[in-house]
Amino acid sequence: MWLEFLRFDLRYQLRQPLLWLSGLIFALLAFGASSSDAVMVGGAVGNVYRNAPMVIAQFLGVFTIVAMFIVTIFIAGSVLRDAELGVADMIFATPMKKRDYLFGRFVAGELACLSIFVLISIGIMLGTVMPWVDTARIGPFSIAPYLWGFAVFVIPNMLLIGAFLMLLAATTRSMLLVYVGVIVFFVLWSVAGVFSRDISNEWLVVLMDPFGLRAFGRMTRYFSTAEANGALPPFTGFLLANRALWSAVALLLLGLTLALFKPQRPDTGKRLWGRVKVQAAATPTHSPVSGLRPVRPNVSAATPWLQCWAMLRFDAVGVFTSVPFLVMLLVGVANFIGGASMGGRMYGTRVYPVTRMMLETMSGSFTFMLVLIVTFYAGELIFKERQLKVADVTDALPVPDWVPLLAKSLALLGVIAGFMAGGVLAAMCFQLIKGGAALEPALYLQGSLQGSAFFVLMGLLALALQVLCNNKFVGYLVVILLLAWQVVFGILHFDHNLYNIAGLPEVRYSDMNGFGHFLTGWYWYLLYWSLFVLALLLLARGFWVRGLSQEWRVRGLLAAQRLKGGAGVALALSLAGFVATGGWIYYNTNVLNHYVPGNEQMDRQASYEKKYRQYKGQPQPRVTEVQARVDIFPAERRVMIDGHYRLVNKHATPIDTLYVQVVPDVETVLKNLPAHQVTLDDALLGMRILKLTQALPPGAAIDMDFMVTLRNQGFTNDGKPGSVNLNGTFFNNMQLFPALGYGGNELLDRNERRKRGLGEPQRMPKLEDEAARANHQLDGEADWIAFDTTVSTSADQIALAPGYLQQTWEKEGRRYFHYKMDRPMLPFFAYLSARWEVRKGDWQGLPIEIYFDPKHGYNVERMITATQKSLDYFSANFTPYQHKQVRILEFPRYATFAQSFANTIPYSEAIGFIADLRNKDDVDYVFYVTAHEMAHQWWAHQVIGANVQGATMLVESLAQYSALMVMEREYGREHLRRFFKEELDRYLSSRRGEQIEEQPLFRVENQPYIHYNKGALVFYRLREEIGEAALNRALKRFLQDKGYQAAPYTTSRELLGYLRAETPADRQELITDLFEKIVFYDNRVVEASAKQRADGQWDVTMKLHLAKLEADGKGKETERVFDEPVEVAVFARAAGAREADEKVLFSEKRRLQGADPVLTVTVKEKPYEVGVDPYNKMIDRVSSDNRKQISLE
Amino acid sequence: MLTIKALNKTYANGVQALKDINLEIPTGLYGLLGPNGAGKSSLMRTIATLQEPDTGSIHFDAIDVLHDKEALRRQLGYLPQDFGVYPKVTAEDLLDHFAVLKGLTRRSERREVVEGLLQQTNLWEARKRKLGTFSGGMRQRFGIAQALLGAPRLVIVDEPTAGLDPDERNRFLNLLAEIGEQVVVMLSTHIVEDVTDLCPRMAIIVKGEVLLQGEPQAAIDLLRDKVWRKRVSKAALPEYQQRFNVLSSRLVAGQPQINVHADSQPDDGFVQVEPDLEDVYFLKIRNSQSGSAALA
Repeated sequence: MWLEFLRFDLRYQLRQPLLWLSGLIFALLAFGASSSDAVMVGGAVGNVYRNAPMVIAQFLGVFTIVAMFIVTIFIAGSVLRDAELGVADMIFATPMKKRDYLFGRFVAGELACLSIFVLISIGIMLGTVMPWVDTARIGPFSIAPYLWGFAVFVIPNMLLIGAFLMLLAATTRSMLLVYVGVIVFFVLWSVAGVFSRDISNEWLVVLMDPFGLRAFGRMTRYFSTAEANGALPPFTGFLLANRALWSAVALLLLGLTLALFKPQRPDTGKRLWGRVKVQAAATPTHSPVSGLRPVRPNVSAATPWLQCWAMLRFDAVGVFTSVPFLVMLLVGVANFIGGASMGGRMYGTRVYPVTRMMLETMSGSFTFMLVLIVTFYAGELIFKERQLKVADVTDALPVPDWVPLLAKSLALLGVIAGFMAGGVLAAMCFQLIKGGAALEPALYLQGSLQGSAFFVLMGLLALALQVLCNNKFVGYLVVILLLAWQVVFGILHFDHNLYNIAGLPEVRYSDMNGFGHFLTGWYWYLLYWSLFVLALLLLARGFWVRGLSQEWRVRGLLAAQRLKGGAGVALALSLAGFVATGGWIYYNTNVLNHYVPGNEQMDRQASYEKKYRQYKGQPQPRVTEVQARVDIFPAERRVMIDGHYRLVNKHATPIDTLYVQVVPDVETVLKNLPAHQVTLDDALLGMRILKLTQALPPGAAIDMDFMVTLRNQGFTNDGKPGSVNLNGTFFNNMQLFPALGYGGNELLDRNERRKRGLGEPQRMPKLEDEAARANHQLDGEADWIAFDTTVSTSADQIALAPGYLQQTWEKEGRRYFHYKMDRPMLPFFAYLSARWEVRKGDWQGLPIEIYFDPKHGYNVERMITATQKSLDYFSANFTPYQHKQVRILEFPRYATFAQSFANTIPYSEAIGFIADLRNKDDVDYVFYVTAHEMAHQWWAHQVIGANVQGATMLVESLAQYSALMVMEREYGREHLRRFFKEELDRYLSSRRGEQIEEQPLFRVENQPYIHYNKGALVFYRLREEIGEAALNRALKRFLQDKGYQAAPYTTSRELLGYLRAETPADRQELITDLFEKIVFYDNRVVEASAKQRADGQWDVTMKLHLAKLEADGKGKETERVFDEPVEVAVFARAAGAREADEKVLFSEKRRLQGADPVLTVTVKEKPYEVGVDPYNKMIDRVSSDNRKQISLE
Repeated sequence: MLTIKALNKTYANGVQALKDINLEIPTGLYGLLGPNGAGKSSLMRTIATLQEPDTGSIHFDAIDVLHDKEALRRQLGYLPQDFGVYPKVTAEDLLDHFAVLKGLTRRSERREVVEGLLQQTNLWEARKRKLGTFSGGMRQRFGIAQALLGAPRLVIVDEPTAGLDPDERNRFLNLLAEIGEQVVVMLSTHIVEDVTDLCPRMAIIVKGEVLLQGEPQAAIDLLRDKVWRKRVSKAALPEYQQRFNVLSSRLVAGQPQINVHADSQPDDGFVQVEPDLEDVYFLKIRNSQSGSAALA
């Protein structure tokens, strides 16, 4: 019997055009993803093949989520269809079994869905064999990953989703509620994802994901490129548990459906909750009409407006009290609270809930729900009367044609406003509960108005389109296509907001700089798209359907009639306004400013490399002195530089050609050079080649003066913040000053390079390249420079640059500051200007100054303390501090870093200034970042490495180590564990994103995940192995020998020499492993048991597994003998106590034999846990299995 | 006076819904009689400004309906054949809402009208109930209440008695008759008695054509002495249908009884009966069917 249902329904499903249409769209997406970079799903980045098994599996997995929205139609539809078509009574009256009915329908729906996935798979397969696909990015074909993906993701997920939808459909009997259920399910899933970023509750996170993707993610998180290309994770552990759990849930849901489904008409069965009140029928009485005073309508000019208001209220109340709206609001609020409590965290430490954070969290986790709401309700509002068949009544009422459209538009705006108000309310409550941050109502108002602008445009657009399409589902489809258009255009680098529907530039609010200068452009774009939407609405007014809907020809004629007169004039005016505004915007973004899409930017980089790489290494005179007069005009965002370089020929040969690199978007005039001829002036790429009439002999010097003018006129397309701002200007010399030699900012992504006909990328010269040691890491044809600058700004701001203040004065309403550095410094300097509050401290009489925004006083004292402690530690253990002052300067959050210049540390308002350190257990990263930047005064500003592999290890890894030591001294070892966990996770998970090749630490090629994250782990381990004193001795000697040196500059290899000199013979091999190789450990406790002895002590027996692996640059691993001692420990813990309160009963470093050693130790107290490398000092991809709870015998 | 001249409408699928309709409708109840799909609703919707005719004109007193729809809507009360309500809104709220849309913008006036109509249609007790919980009859009464908002001078009610029990139907028709004393009330139905009982004037529409218009009694009078009745056996029925112009056949105590149109007694056993509007109606339908059959 069920086979008959199956056969019948499958035939029906396979004949649905929607099935094939959606299948084709998905297949096309899959095709796009595997054959181009336009669609990015599945993680085929860098060296990972486009068709790597992991990518295919992930792709199929991700699509099971995307497909959920479409699948609803097939699966839930199969249950609801009969009732909708009115054949339910007939079918339910036949002697069929409901089990057969449901089962047949379910299987048919499932098969229909699977056919979509077959199409998707074909799309991927076809995509990879397209002729334009770079064959270097395609691995060998295998059917296995597809089968794996089907078995692990597609089939179980479709079963689960299908069962869930069946249950919803069978119990609610409403497609609308099924969709609401789907949305809620989806949002809850995403919210769970936000919480899963906290790594601690791993099993829970992994099991909670019904799609199994997070389990897959966990198991492949630390996959290297080689692993991603070659294999799929084993179907065990997380993945198996997850799949088993959710398949069981699917079966349970199916069983529930079977139990709850009643083959009856809807609403005739027993109610699940409560009882319907039966009301007594009214006794009929009859009163004659004649008793009624006839009241005629009173029509005046105000009548339509009163009607409009009534309709608006009626519609808005309708939406506000509808289930989907309330559900979406609740889900949004829940999502917001989740986002707000997790948002802005660094190393697990929260930030103060300042209003701008709240607004930002809202736009990320709450406001986006409005896309769903406006799309959905635009359709509902327009078709509500017709769906309920009220239209025949209302359309015959004496209401002018324009009233309903206006009322519905306003109702939609009301819905958006209501939704936003809900969010703001939630945010304010959140702020009040968390405390510590001021409520800023005005900012809330402006921020939420701004945040809703896009949705207002989209909503009104959707409304107009629904009217024009005159079919709700076609209308939805068109809106979805519009949204997809924006996404696809963005990916294809078509990112001008002039053609991205409802596209508005980003406006990033900063507490320092407010909305800055960004609003002008934003308002123009808003006007532009508002006029567009207005025109569409006027058109919709013309095509408004009243009464029976007409064919297109008649609608056109009617529209033409209606648009005669006022409405037509308005339409013409809004279109004219749209075009005119567009012209003005174009003038601003493309004439006054340059609009360079991302791919064109890369083209320019490529063309620079092709044209000018030939000049790399040409001897150039080197900069030895910089003098500059810099005038900053914050209000106009203008900068004028009158600069001077002294250039010396330090080479043995005369120099007759200067290669001057200027900043392309900026006006640069070179002056006072000796007689020369300009042989090339490439304004686009910023290269100038000057031929000196008289060659510059060795040792001789010339002067080069220059005038640089940066003007910011009009506004730009993306609205991205620049470096010169109304309040909070921060730029460095590389952004504006001219430089000498080939300024090789080369493309590093080898895929992008291949596309542009460039060879393999070369990030850095080899460690062995002796010639490259002529330059230090900052390159730029300069060694150490003398620096003297005068900087001016508006009267209400302070301007800063490295060096010491010599003099300050005011002239003609502007403030001037003269700074001079008393010793040679690196050719790297910054200028800042803002309205700051200044807090002062000192260290042994040496001034410490923090320049911060008055709103951000929270952690200023922490920064001062961190600076003092850093100075303590570094000057005691390394060398003296070379400057006479420390300054920390807050700059707007447009960039999120802190950067060390000589005696001057710009520090972003986004990291640390608003960190919430009220909980003493949280990682004090403000302290940490400050100490790190302070450490750069030694690591960079005293010793700088040659511009070869390993250079950033000397700067960043050593700053990490130094900061960790200051941190450890302040907070203790325990405090650092969370920190290391994070560093380990970041290092391991970033490896697969490697674009070229992972290097061992001492050959790091400016790879942040190596020099920061791995660097911290390696140096900390080294200090554990050889001791803090020995390591610091080595570093001190290194600083003393190599500080302020001239070419040839030092290298990581030289540092290793100093380290090895302090390392005992039995640890020399370890240094090789840590620095010169890529080594992983796989240590775990397999079994642990304990038995109490007669004397009251405990014998603890543990079975361990030890492994050591070496990886190559692509992640291919080879096993090595485990040749080093490892820490083994036994811990006691009181019942219910935290790990932080544990007691160490036994801890010893032991050299163990074999890969699976068993050992027994005796402890005095009742043990709780054993661990091998219990503090995760070794780089181990599964750190959680290093400890195991003891089973007591 | 509602005057309809040469009204034509052909739908996109080729169905001609209105064929050269000419009607003069004075104050009072006017019955529009016809089988399902005859074009009654199309005609009424066209008058109610909800659809455009291809050609023709409609005038209501001085209003040119097709060119000044707004003016007509202010005079109009319309109850569509198959209409819905917002299920989650109470009767009182929705009626009040419709009253605003009807142009009753003064609050006190509106309250008076809404309360009056709710009482009139016996919905006063149920006014706070959500419309979703209403029975078919209550919903129909709500429909008439909304149609009477704003004292319309043209009331169009499309199949208003469908789904009403006999009691409700009577009350409803009484109400209409009362209204019909002052204004034009156009009533469509396929129940012949409704028209016989109530309407001073009527029209019969079949396949978009007006086959007859005028006073019901005058039409009945034309059939005087021409309607004959006989009880026949089931087996013989087909033969009778072939031989005579059988207007209707119905089972009486299990045996067919037929009415036949003929100038003289057609056959033994036929007795002459007093004609009624139903005979007129069936005669018109039969004639139009045979006419089109001849064409086909």
